[in-house]
Amino acid sequence: MYWLSIVILIYIFIALYFFFFFILIYLKNRESMYTCPKLTRNYKVSVVIPCYNEEDCICGTINAVLSSTYPIEKVFVVNDGSTDRTAEIVEKLARKNKKIILLNKKNGGKADSLNYALKFVKTELVAIVDSDSYPDKDALEKTIGFFDNPRVGVATCAVLARNKSKFMEKLQAVEYTVIAWTRKLLGYLNAIYVTPGPLAIYRTNVIKKLGFDTKNMTEDIEATWHLTSEGWRREMCLAARVTTITPSTFKGWYNQRVRWNMGGIQTINKYKHLFLKGGMLGCFILPYFVLSLIMGLVGLSIFFYLFFRRVIFSYISTKLSLGIGVPVITVDQLYMTPNVLNFLGLAMLILGTFFTILGLSVMEERELRNRNIFNLAFYLLIYLTIYPFIMPVAIYRLVKKDLRW
Amino acid sequence: MFSNQKHVFWQALILTIFIFSVGVAIGFLIENSRLGKINELYVNSEVELLDVRIQSEMLNANLINCDLAIEKNIKFADKVYDEAKLLGRYEDAQRFSEALVLQHKKYDLLRTMVWVNSIKLKEKCSPNYHNIIYIYQYTDPSIKKIAEQETFSKFLEELKIKEQDRILLLPIAGDIGGISIEALKEQFNITVLPTVIIDEKTKITDFAGLKQIENLLK
Repeated sequence: MYWLSIVILIYIFIALYFFFFFILIYLKNRESMYTCPKLTRNYKVSVVIPCYNEEDCICGTINAVLSSTYPIEKVFVVNDGSTDRTAEIVEKLARKNKKIILLNKKNGGKADSLNYALKFVKTELVAIVDSDSYPDKDALEKTIGFFDNPRVGVATCAVLARNKSKFMEKLQAVEYTVIAWTRKLLGYLNAIYVTPGPLAIYRTNVIKKLGFDTKNMTEDIEATWHLTSEGWRREMCLAARVTTITPSTFKGWYNQRVRWNMGGIQTINKYKHLFLKGGMLGCFILPYFVLSLIMGLVGLSIFFYLFFRRVIFSYISTKLSLGIGVPVITVDQLYMTPNVLNFLGLAMLILGTFFTILGLSVMEERELRNRNIFNLAFYLLIYLTIYPFIMPVAIYRLVKKDLRW
Repeated sequence: MFSNQKHVFWQALILTIFIFSVGVAIGFLIENSRLGKINELYVNSEVELLDVRIQSEMLNANLINCDLAIEKNIKFADKVYDEAKLLGRYEDAQRFSEALVLQHKKYDLLRTMVWVNSIKLKEKCSPNYHNIIYIYQYTDPSIKKIAEQETFSKFLEELKIKEQDRILLLPIAGDIGGISIEALKEQFNITVLPTVIIDEKTKITDFAGLKQIENLLK
């Protein structure tokens, strides 16, 4: 059998495995997807909002946080050396509301800002909120109950896209929704691998002890893995939501994804010593990340191999055909005989579509109705296919030690 | 709760193995059905070849005339040529089974027999058509070779469309094995693939020669 057929069959097998894996978790837990733990006691909560040049959205974020139905002790806004009007806006708000505390510091990155703010936090729990994110009023109230379990170190909620008007934003809205659903599913296995920046509530003493890794490009992934390696559970409440501003241009999206990939690789590298060693991190999360990385790179290599092979072939063939005066393309060449792998690939596409539509339906049926078929088709056929192309760029930048955001 | 959930790891694996196996089995069935179709065409062609050869024997016995024998021979060669194209498409789409390779070899031998039959016919009758035998590389051709051979094929196909019954076009794999094909290669001193043999006299191995082919047919 041609080696490429074997590789494609392996890909299909792995994709099929994860399809059934997620579907089975969903079927076992579909009744409890939106269940929130009841609050049995009151936890004192502070909120930390790190920001850098966020004059456009910081006011909205602070207001969203302050409108929480769960009482908040303090809101620490860390101005990470902004050069715009961020500090001025926050100062103005702080004058009106004594809960808001502005912490100014030299620019040192998000993780550095978080570590700095943690020094001021005195409450039992601390919620980290990205400066471009807007937690729903009841997001904290619905999520905090998880901390009744003393093994829970961090809890998060469904992160959804806030802006959905431009094409890139619509695609990301689909993506964020499906990711939120799958993250909840992984939560049933204690396999949540990231408690994302838009809203993550930590047990203060735990995160103070572990801290955020200032060298990592995705401090949220690293922190989650760190907690996991220390045996802390991560939980997620699907009923609680936070919306975040997603990049509206391809360039913005691309830069963000390169950073995410770089952070992911940095985190894999940091925790590689735990590979296949006991616990969910070593036995599932880490292999899952490594497998995704390998599959992405191998898939990309195969794509380039086939693409350049086709280009070289077309070039030679066209040159020869023109040279001898025969048609470059004949009707016979247009006649395609589908092979078995084409059928299996089509079957996988159908399953992928089903999975995405199911995820969207579980999350919000009204939204699904609003998203047209073209967006969904583009998301499945193009958007997801672009992903592996980002990986080599991320690796290249890491090798070059180019750690710009 | 988690201990109950963790069963999904092996449950998903079993489900995957089952569905994947069904998919692969369906794949084999599809390829086997194509093989079956080619087999059926081959058996029919084998019978027709026998018929064509009997006609040649009848010609030797002066029971039929040359025109009829030539016409039947060319028609049969055209049919086998079309079947070769279908076989080629199926082979390109083949992923699991290697059975079509054997089928290809059988067809090559059959086409060789058509060629030999045509040579005999031309010896007996004053020929008003040309044998064009296209011998190509079948096993592991490079990209350059594939492109070259594709251009050769397109050129010869165009020629066939233009000249119709004035040419008998037979593609034969030159490196698929078979004593008779090897013997013919040795006889015609074929060392380079692809090679086009015209009327068992002229060998063409490059595009410059291919361009002159119409002059040779005049």
